[in-house]
Amino acid sequence: MTDKKREGGYADRVQLAYAKTLDYVAHSVIIVMAVGYLLYLTELLPLTVPIETIAGNWHLSSAHLQAKLNLPCGWECFTSPAGLFHGDIASYISVIFLSLATLICLASAVTVFISEKKHLYSAIATLQVIVLLVAASGIMSGGH
Amino acid sequence: MKISVTRRLMIPAAAVGALLILMMPAMPLLAAAPAAAPGTAWWVWVLALFVFSFVLGIVAVLAGVGGGVLYVPIVSSFFPFHLDFVRGAGLLVALAGALSAGPPLMRKGLADLKLGLPMALVGSISSIAGALVGLAMPAQNVQLLLGIVIISIAAIMIKAGKSGYPEVTKPDRLSQLLQISGLYYEEFGQHEVSWRVHRTPVGLLLFFVIGFIGGMFGLGAGFANVPVFNLLMGVPLKVAVATSGLVLSINGSAAAWVYLFKGAVLPLIAVPSIGGMMLGSKIGAKLLPKVNTRTIRLIVITILALSGFRSLLKGLGI
Repeated sequence: MTDKKREGGYADRVQLAYAKTLDYVAHSVIIVMAVGYLLYLTELLPLTVPIETIAGNWHLSSAHLQAKLNLPCGWECFTSPAGLFHGDIASYISVIFLSLATLICLASAVTVFISEKKHLYSAIATLQVIVLLVAASGIMSGGH
Repeated sequence: MKISVTRRLMIPAAAVGALLILMMPAMPLLAAAPAAAPGTAWWVWVLALFVFSFVLGIVAVLAGVGGGVLYVPIVSSFFPFHLDFVRGAGLLVALAGALSAGPPLMRKGLADLKLGLPMALVGSISSIAGALVGLAMPAQNVQLLLGIVIISIAAIMIKAGKSGYPEVTKPDRLSQLLQISGLYYEEFGQHEVSWRVHRTPVGLLLFFVIGFIGGMFGLGAGFANVPVFNLLMGVPLKVAVATSGLVLSINGSAAAWVYLFKGAVLPLIAVPSIGGMMLGSKIGAKLLPKVNTRTIRLIVITILALSGFRSLLKGLGI
């Protein structure tokens, strides 16, 4: 038996779907993060807050830093008055993408669980997606 | 090819030595002025963080511990960043590591969704709660508790045993209801291993506690997930390690949103940490067959205990 066949033989459809999605997402995250950070550090795109200002205040707590610099939090980066085309915003969006990765994989798992009529795990995976959606909505964190 | 004893000892010694050397320049700077670190350009810290995370990635794989659990206590002790940003970056480091390792483990049936999902569901809820509590508490208290937790983790790592193929004579009712069992191919012995679990309700309770701690301190929780799966629930070690990554990715993702919405994630700090750790982990995985992992694990546990002790002192204002 080849390794490839052996691998498939010990994982069911939902595991394989999850793995395939995760493979795509993980690679995309790495590329997006690298590009975003390059844009940030090289200042190829303008910055909403200069790096020196961030570095001069990174000893402050997140609450104090927010009060002082009013950096975008959560989804605010997409609605920032400064606009999307800023190096620091691009890098921040790449971090948001990383945080969304698991949600995307779980959504793919839910569709397979449902198509295979595995009701119990459809419910558990759906509940898990809801928990992550609630977290991503910022409701629990007092976000916007 | 036979690897000489000298070479087996040299590689881990070099990796740990590099880690210690990287920690040293930060100490006097922090002792003098942890807040501003005057005279040090921002890029020096960012570069140091990248190199440090890279070495940490190598050492973590060689020592068989999660990168996240090493990252938070050491970076918060020796770099000038506020603990909030270190915890936010730590969660993302653990999340990125678990995601990148995930696909092959899922395909081989080692990371098991039926085992991981119920645990992650309770763990993700508590990790959100932990993150909220951790960010609401004064940093000094969190630092103090972090010190206690890290020293306890070091003790667990020394004390906890592991079992390759634990015997489960009678699966519990909940695991039967959830159909938690599996089969995988053991490449080392070239045979199939079938497994089932017991004590699932206690496992769920412990994953709730682990999720809370992970969210509160920004730690990857592999140090606790693996013993609960393996020693308590009777999951084979390889499945326990792989499924721990799956649980960690879900819990880490849930708690990361809290840190994002509370403004506790700075890409300037988080991205080089993630990049360094991921690159280092890949190198570590390649070095793994060539080194004496027992020696390096002992050294890393000692470093972990020392950084826990330093966190404790910082928390006490000493």
